[in-house]
Amino acid sequence: MSKQELYTSAAAKYWRDTLSDRLPSEWRKNVDEFEADITLKKMGKVDHKLFAETRLRMGAYGQRYDNGHRYDGKTVRDIPFPEEFKGPETYWDAPGMQRIKLPWGGLTPDQMDLFADLAEEYSDGICHITTRQAIQLHYIHIENCPSMYRRLGALGITTREACGNAVRNVSADPMTGVSPTEAFDVTPYAQAIFEFLLGHPDAQDFGRKFKIALSGDKEGSSGLVNIHDLGLIARIKDGKRGFEFYVGGGLGAVPYAAKLFSDFVSEEEILPLSQAVCRIYARHGEKKKRHRARIKFLIADLGFEKFRDMVIEERAKLPHDPRWTAYLKDLNKLDEKPSRPAGSGLKCTGDAAFDFWVKTNVKPQKQKGYVAVLVTLPLGDITSNQMRNLADICRKYINDTVRTVAEQNLLLRWVSENDVAALYAELKAVGLHLPGAESILDVTACPGTDTCKLGVSSSRGLAGEMRSRLYAKGAAIDPAIRDLRIKISGCFNSCSHHHIADIGFYGISRNVGGYVVPHFQMVLGGQFQNNGGAYGIGVGGIASKAVPAVVERLTGLYLESRNKDENFRTWVERTGKATIMQSLQDLLEVPAYEKDKSFYVDWGDVREYSVKDKGIGECAGEIVTLTDFGLKAADRELFDAQLRFEGGDATSAGSRAYRAMVLAAQGLLKGKDPDVPENADVVMERFTKEFHDTGVFNDPYAGPKFAQYYFQAHGHRGQGLDKDKTSLLLHEAQLFVEACHSCYARMSLTETKEAVA
Amino acid sequence: MDLQNIQWKIHLADGYSADAHEWFKVFGTWIPDSPEVFVDVADYSHVQDGPVIFLSGHAVCYSLDAVGKRLGLLYERRQPAAEGSNPEKLNESLSSLLKHAAMLESDATFKNKPKFVAGDLKFIVNNRAIAPNNDATLAALKPELEALLNKVYGTGGYTLTREPDVKQRFIVHVKAKAPVTVTEALKKLG
Ligand code: HEM
Ligand code: SF4
Repeated sequence: MSKQELYTSAAAKYWRDTLSDRLPSEWRKNVDEFEADITLKKMGKVDHKLFAETRLRMGAYGQRYDNGHRYDGKTVRDIPFPEEFKGPETYWDAPGMQRIKLPWGGLTPDQMDLFADLAEEYSDGICHITTRQAIQLHYIHIENCPSMYRRLGALGITTREACGNAVRNVSADPMTGVSPTEAFDVTPYAQAIFEFLLGHPDAQDFGRKFKIALSGDKEGSSGLVNIHDLGLIARIKDGKRGFEFYVGGGLGAVPYAAKLFSDFVSEEEILPLSQAVCRIYARHGEKKKRHRARIKFLIADLGFEKFRDMVIEERAKLPHDPRWTAYLKDLNKLDEKPSRPAGSGLKCTGDAAFDFWVKTNVKPQKQKGYVAVLVTLPLGDITSNQMRNLADICRKYINDTVRTVAEQNLLLRWVSENDVAALYAELKAVGLHLPGAESILDVTACPGTDTCKLGVSSSRGLAGEMRSRLYAKGAAIDPAIRDLRIKISGCFNSCSHHHIADIGFYGISRNVGGYVVPHFQMVLGGQFQNNGGAYGIGVGGIASKAVPAVVERLTGLYLESRNKDENFRTWVERTGKATIMQSLQDLLEVPAYEKDKSFYVDWGDVREYSVKDKGIGECAGEIVTLTDFGLKAADRELFDAQLRFEGGDATSAGSRAYRAMVLAAQGLLKGKDPDVPENADVVMERFTKEFHDTGVFNDPYAGPKFAQYYFQAHGHRGQGLDKDKTSLLLHEAQLFVEACHSCYARMSLTETKEAVA
Repeated sequence: MDLQNIQWKIHLADGYSADAHEWFKVFGTWIPDSPEVFVDVADYSHVQDGPVIFLSGHAVCYSLDAVGKRLGLLYERRQPAAEGSNPEKLNESLSSLLKHAAMLESDATFKNKPKFVAGDLKFIVNNRAIAPNNDATLAALKPELEALLNKVYGTGGYTLTREPDVKQRFIVHVKAKAPVTVTEALKKLG
């Protein structure tokens, strides 16, 4: 093949010719190879699966509808893309998503200009900030990727390993370096870890992704170490710099808190120790079963002590690598400087809007006279022109000191206190002056059903609705409520971090009278602060359309009945799920389809969520009733189990959680045979045969994952577990019962389709 | 220059206030059986100076667009690379835009009916590699653009101005000297 054939277009050739020399040689090789892969794929010389893996490693994801099907509210229609594929069941020409990782969230005004250009030329004019400090562009055509990578590479950004089973974006508390409470600036260490592990041979053979985060301190930080596979918290011991070293945290369907590996690892040791962790994970981690492949499962399976011993042994065997410490000689190279003289205190203007913005969006720095300013981005979105305007504003007031924030905002550091009012006026002129950052107003949402293939309910639609309602009240919201955080995920994968929200939601679907209705599971009392200090408690499923009213009621209740200075989590624990759900009872009822169709259409959509009509026939009706009944019983049992757990009775909580799983499985079986016996062994045997082995139960994306939870629980029947294991079982039982609801919803959809046909 | 990534924007009459939800609904009705292979609709009504409602498509995307803080309908050519001569591509793209503007003007879904100003257009080459925003690009494209616009507005019946902000893409602002309706413009385009 001639070199010329590799160029996919005149523009691609232009960027290749103009920019290749500006890329580091390894990055240049990556992009050249990827471009060649595109050409080979188009020639039919690379298989779909292999190409998918290749593009994912460069951060080029699939996007919803790329399988060529879309439900239009009445029926599933084909989208007639040309017959060419970029992965199994993924059309070549279908719009895709590009994730661009930004180590420690660092962003310069020149890079901001570039993002604005890329969003215009290849995407839809929108840059989206993710919950792990990356930027995503949607509606991308795969053949534009090499040009995009070259343009990014020329400004020091690589997308390599932004996705796939690799070390993902190395994130860090966006306030590090300016935070008044931290031990020291972790930025150079985050950069060193990123550089060291990028493409490292020991980090190429993972069964799943691997996420790393760094934090400057334990309490005051939003570095979110607890929810990461590997996490480091800065510490000074005997005058020497080092880190508390954590492993095995992670969100996803069942959240795990990271475990303390060592309370002090010196700065010289963090790279080799991280390398040893990677080697153990690569060698011993699960490779086949994706749902058990994160390092958290390896640690659970091996036992923490054994895992630790293996890592320490591995570390001792590692051949010395000069890169482990080389970066320490140049530790100050990323140090930031202000561009303007220090200010002399923040001045109140008497303008209520400005003062409220200062309260929520301006944070003190440890450097006297300077503050860090949060630019609130609704749903994490910013348009190309806004991005460009913001870059110019940054050039005027600060140096290259912008960071992306996990709550989907941008942080401008080193703003002189004297400039705050002028900066506000300039932000206002370009529509970037929204107050409410880090408050209940600033709802976090994952892409959900808008663009994510896994979305169940519309997280962005709901978040948009919540935002409008909350912003309408703005400064009038009581401070106790204002400080709460809402995070909404479109499915159980928890990309929005709903487990660490005060009020979190994840998308589920429920069958109501034969219709599938979008719902959210509510999770209460998680903690964003303290590095994602605590995970919330699942409370119950709520119809999407009822969520805003539920939040209003819930926050009102908290305000009325909390003890003085009682925080939300403590209030949730003290009040208990039963009382909370009781007080929401009238909002939980989904009106019949004939009465109020709006519940059957999700937020931010106009299509009916499900088919219009349900299969007619006495038999079908009866089957629905029995399964409904079984699933309700399972919900109740699970609820009871959770209450017992909260009440300190882990033993009966465990056996009840297991019992809830049996009831849900039995409920499904009752749809086929009303006389299914009660015996747990028989239920297991028949569920396995009729639902698991047939694939009927398989979640379209998670596969048989949730059935495995049931199978494991059947082994111990919820007995003899310690508190931590019981807590996990409760989560797993919740997911299994939820999966039974979804399976039932899918089955009734199929039945209806058959009946209609 | 082989023209690619053509965009056209037709502005809405000043004072028109768009109900984003209605536009979302209407774009959704364009999806089934569309020759452009429309895929999905996205709502960006929460941001400023960008798309408001975006209809993504394989060959063409449309959006209710508020770039430059002025509402309009944006046409954007995507895949595959457009074929034919530049005049053909220009004619085809502008007439697609105008046809869809006409469809919107007569769509019964809108309570507040959109009214387009066919004498107020923006022509964009959404590709900084092939069309840098400079005088050379304008010089290269001007004859072909003028040939097209002469048909619509008559020779000398309009002005062409290149966007002066160098950070922007190659954008040409087109202003007709006399009012023109969408239907008239379409008819003249042939
Ligand atoms: C194509 C779209 C996406 C897919 C298929 C996807 C898939 C997943 C899956 C399967 C998990 C669970 C991982 C596990 O624990 O094993 C997860 C977690 C997560 N994802 Fe996504 N995701 C998508 C988009 C996003 C986006 C857009 C964001 C950011 C806004 C995001 C951020 C995260 C985060 C922060 C987690 C939590 C994981 C953790 O910290 O342990 N994801 N995602
Ligand atoms: S939580 Fe689910 S719906 Fe949301 S982005 Fe993650 S995988 Fe997609």
